[in-house]
Amino acid sequence: MERRENQTPQGKIAGVLVEFLEIAITSVVFLKGIYPSGAFERRRYMNVVVQRACHPQLRYYIHATVSGLLPYIQKGMVERLAVIFFNAHNVPLEKFVFKLAMDLSYGSAVEEVDLQFSLRSFMSKLSISESLTKKLPPDCRWEITAYFRSIPEAGTSKEADLWIPTDTKQWQQPPLITPIKSMSSEPLCLQLYLEHPCLSESLL
Amino acid sequence: MSLNSKRSSSNRSNDNNKRKKQKITANQKTLGVVWGSNSPKSPFSDVGSYMTEKNRKLHNQFNAEATSHNNPIFAGVSIFVDGFTVPSSQELRSYMLNYGGRFENYFSRHRVTHIICTNLPHSKLKNHLRAFSAGLPVVKPTWILDSVASNRLLTWAPYQLEQLSNNQQPKLSTFFLSRNSKSSEDTFTNALCQVEPVIHDSSASVGKSEDGHSSGVEKVVEPSSQISMEADDTVSENTDAIMTDEQLTSVGVKCDEEDPAGGRNDASKDERNFQSELETNYQKPSTSVSSPCSDDQNVIEFPSSVSTRPSKQCHSTLSDPNFVENYFKSSRLHFIGTWRSRYRKRFPISSTGVDNGISNINTSSVSGNSAIIHVDMDCFFVSVVIRNHPELLDKPVAVCHSNNSKGTAEVSSANYPARSYGIRAGMFVRDAKALCPHLVIFPYNFEAYEEVADQFYSILHRHCNKVQAVSCDEAFLDVTHSNVEDPELLASSIRKEIYETTGCTASAGIAGNMLIARIATRTAKPNGQYHISPERVQNHLSQLPINALPGVGHVLQEKLKKQNVQTCGQLMMISKVSLQNDYGMKTGEMLWNYSRGIDNRLVGDFQECKSIGADVNWGVRFKDMKDCENFLTKLCKEVSLRLRSCGMQGRTFSLKIKKRRKDADEPAKFMGCGDCENLSHSVTIPVGTDNVEVLQRIAKQLFGSFYIDVKEIRGIGLHVSRLENIETSKQEKFNLKSWVTSGSASMDKQKHPMSNGHDKQNMDGTSVHECRDLRGSSVQMDNNIQNNQSSADRISTPPPLCHLDVEVIRNLPTEVFSELNEIYGGKLVAYITKGKSISESSSSLQNSLLEKEAINKEEELLDVEPILQKRKLSEIEAMQHEAVEGGAVSDSGSGPSFNVKSSFEKDDLLPSSLSQVDGSVLRELPEDLKAVIVLQLPAHRRQEICSNVAVVPPSENNQVSLGVKNSENLGSNHVLNECLWAGNPPKWVEEFKISSCLILKKLSEIYYRSELTRTLSSVLHQIISEFHQLNEVHQISDDSVNIMCEVLKQYIKVKIGKDIEEIYVCFRLLKRFAAKSQFFLQVYNGVFPYLQEAVDDNYGGSLSITP
Repeated sequence: MERRENQTPQGKIAGVLVEFLEIAITSVVFLKGIYPSGAFERRRYMNVVVQRACHPQLRYYIHATVSGLLPYIQKGMVERLAVIFFNAHNVPLEKFVFKLAMDLSYGSAVEEVDLQFSLRSFMSKLSISESLTKKLPPDCRWEITAYFRSIPEAGTSKEADLWIPTDTKQWQQPPLITPIKSMSSEPLCLQLYLEHPCLSESLL
Repeated sequence: MSLNSKRSSSNRSNDNNKRKKQKITANQKTLGVVWGSNSPKSPFSDVGSYMTEKNRKLHNQFNAEATSHNNPIFAGVSIFVDGFTVPSSQELRSYMLNYGGRFENYFSRHRVTHIICTNLPHSKLKNHLRAFSAGLPVVKPTWILDSVASNRLLTWAPYQLEQLSNNQQPKLSTFFLSRNSKSSEDTFTNALCQVEPVIHDSSASVGKSEDGHSSGVEKVVEPSSQISMEADDTVSENTDAIMTDEQLTSVGVKCDEEDPAGGRNDASKDERNFQSELETNYQKPSTSVSSPCSDDQNVIEFPSSVSTRPSKQCHSTLSDPNFVENYFKSSRLHFIGTWRSRYRKRFPISSTGVDNGISNINTSSVSGNSAIIHVDMDCFFVSVVIRNHPELLDKPVAVCHSNNSKGTAEVSSANYPARSYGIRAGMFVRDAKALCPHLVIFPYNFEAYEEVADQFYSILHRHCNKVQAVSCDEAFLDVTHSNVEDPELLASSIRKEIYETTGCTASAGIAGNMLIARIATRTAKPNGQYHISPERVQNHLSQLPINALPGVGHVLQEKLKKQNVQTCGQLMMISKVSLQNDYGMKTGEMLWNYSRGIDNRLVGDFQECKSIGADVNWGVRFKDMKDCENFLTKLCKEVSLRLRSCGMQGRTFSLKIKKRRKDADEPAKFMGCGDCENLSHSVTIPVGTDNVEVLQRIAKQLFGSFYIDVKEIRGIGLHVSRLENIETSKQEKFNLKSWVTSGSASMDKQKHPMSNGHDKQNMDGTSVHECRDLRGSSVQMDNNIQNNQSSADRISTPPPLCHLDVEVIRNLPTEVFSELNEIYGGKLVAYITKGKSISESSSSLQNSLLEKEAINKEEELLDVEPILQKRKLSEIEAMQHEAVEGGAVSDSGSGPSFNVKSSFEKDDLLPSSLSQVDGSVLRELPEDLKAVIVLQLPAHRRQEICSNVAVVPPSENNQVSLGVKNSENLGSNHVLNECLWAGNPPKWVEEFKISSCLILKKLSEIYYRSELTRTLSSVLHQIISEFHQLNEVHQISDDSVNIMCEVLKQYIKVKIGKDIEEIYVCFRLLKRFAAKSQFFLQVYNGVFPYLQEAVDDNYGGSLSITP
């Protein structure tokens, strides 16, 4: 009679995933050092050390954004979730992209524990992947952007009306991709990779 | 000329203000001279003359196009469209063309009468204000649309541009709203629908869409209107009588589906009689039984049951053990609420009859010749009580629980003489007595109410077959199609009959729709009737205070008051869009409609009840937890009763608690709830229920989650929502119940050995198995919940043999074992012996194989032919099959998905030959099982599958990789390129093993060594250590490079979608190798473009590979 049992595996996974994304995004923001490190406190999640934002607004932004996506993740509408760092001119410098793929037809039960086990590797990998990232110039900003497979119709739900199109400019060239971590298990497949603008190609 | 025209065209599309300025200012002339001199051929001396000419031409064009419409709505209107509008200026122009208006391309203060625009930038706004100070209206395009829709010229005032009226910059919110331009479309289509029937013959589709539109409104209106129905008798609902806050919706009305049998409506009286009698048989003996339609005389039997009124002393939960029952027994609102479900049982046909035979009902109500009568008893609760006391007829009388003149009981209803003293419902008795010392107070008499209400409805149903009950004393009649010449006559005869039968008076309002009918009743009261004809609606509404509209309560009234709106006439001045901006889509639309007297609801529309529940907010005081639990138990019982009486089951349960605020004093009202915090928790369960015990358990659980001091509780309510009709859920429920019982039965069987089990480990083992089994079956339930007859059977069977732990069974006591063996029909013994020695008995092995459906890892590909015979495969599946056959070994992608489906029905088939066994799966299987399967395969194939699974001589292997030989792709190795990664180990490993190239050989070797990981990256990683040796090799054949490239390409193909990280790691290693090895350089260069292409396809970028 518990609520958990009532959920579809997708719903359950989405729940875990949203929780994970919230923490992962916080970790990414911490990693990029966009805020002073004092703005975060160490916490333990899924038995790994993670960072947690102390500032309520920061915490709320991440939480609200990600949990707002929950219904769409459940429906498999969200294709990618990107944490975009951009400079003062709204030009993105670096994107941390979470690519989601969920098998919506998957029917059997999913163990939360198994899923967390897989997701934990992201956290540990993320914490050591600073070398892959680029140093940000001062005065950077960041945002969370979700890429949908199809645009949710306005009016279908209240949440859909709340979404706004992003102002962030697009890159002219296809970006360079640096994978950080991939996980593919039934029915969830999650990948984290970096995207950098193409101009840096010359630097290589 | 050409220059000029260009200039003007750009001007037109540009800012018109500029042009205006030019016309007005002086330097415009000099400009014109300059142009004129530039183009000497131009016949115009200056811009002014050019423009005059151009305007003349445009007018001529317009006149030529204009059709002579029989209804020139826009006669005398000349619009100028400024800026971007929805609909476009061209559409607006065509409206003007078609409806007799004029359209000006260029603004002129002399010709233009209205300026149409949707939005103005601030600068333009200022400009407009200055330039148009002449007072030309600036109107939104909806004005035209609405005018066209209603086929007459509407006043433009409501459509004035808000920016002008408010004189402020547009707010951000307006942009957001305009984005879902649905609203404007909606109004448009809605309006069109209304017009359509006038023009054409009403078609069903129009009616339907109309219906769809109106249904939205109804939903908003219904609940609120219910409350305002109450308001006739009692003004303030919330502080009503002793029993407060009991929601009307708490007792539900289920809306019957429309009756498929069309003839029902005009069914003979006999039949209806029969029906109703049938229905009444179901009722409890205590309720009055009257035959509604048969004779004029109503046979009313009254049980001589003692009226159960609570004893005066038992006022709170503290002192009265049966508080909850008594509470609801003496609750007036509870009476009204439960009355409805009783009514539904009594008059079942009335609701179903609505839709039958009258297909054009929608159009008729729209076209305005419908007739609705709203009948409402005058101060029902009082007049019923005093009908046998004619001497009290003109004395002030009120109904109240308590006659104590100092009491804080609230007056629930007062008659008209009492009202003239200023006595209102909701007043404390002591205040009422202060106003009118000789006020006579009567207690409730619920039996009498029931009786009168039944009589009331019997009369209504006799006169009209479309009756919508609103409350026990209030109803709507649709007499449009009742062949009634004069609804007024009918109304008066109904009222007369009501008076003669019940001794109570009723008032009636007659109008074209329900809204106006109700408003008419207000005027008619007391004991009168009033007819508002369609022509007089406008007049009547204009002075009507807004709170007379259903759905306008205190809050809305306050808000509107702030906007300086107090009457419907004032409300009419506000456009729909701005109403919707301020009050939300639905409320805005409702206000807009209602202020114009538009009401699209149909008589007979019953609202589906959303939740059922019970609240007690009076007299709730608990000493300790026990009191509280006791109370909850009773409350659950009440709710369960209510659920059952409505035939509903619910899934979501919410417990509401009123908790005394910390600083709240003891409430003014005796035993009232006072100032409280409202807390609520809810829980949803998978299956609907009305079971008392389940309710009690849930309620307790919910209560536990509050962590509240019971002494602080002032009110408790339990509500059930997500209701399911018991009829529809019956099928499901049956299955689930049977499942639960059978499940528990089999559980018992298993528990039995468990309890006898000797060592603890074994117990754990069995319990785990049980769990898995149960879970599995529950999933199955979900999958085929409809046709579950079979699954119920299946579930009651014990778990398949292969689920049993051999160890456990072997250690079971002998009697238990034999019992179990019986259950398994003797197979258990065989199974155990098999467990001892794997290859011993083939028959038992067969059995275990038969039972192995649940082993998901097991993949058997079935023969195509029998499957095709047994059930229809979708074409894709069939194609998959063919592909599988062609490719000899199934590719792991399509195999499992197919097998999951097939394993349900056909678990008793072994693959007929090796070619249908997936080698990779086979390899994954435990050794013993593998051996069994190999044993079961046809002999001539055995060797081969062994070779496929284990290490094989290369020549054999080539035979295995049979199938279509693609000669194009082959070099010297005749390998099938399609499936280099298929199988386990993948094909390429075998290929490399026999390769002449040292590096490839090494790769294959390492692959075998790295049993665990089996990713290419791990193989490449390990090769690093031996790299120096490999590098010596200089002879590189194109073939080996090709095959390596092919392996990598296929690896990319497999992994790109889900594991870009793996590819990334591989290629970083490869790049590192390429720096040192010629071979890897060639490979790397060969594959790299392919890789980037694949990454681009999947991720829209290129992989940046840093070594």
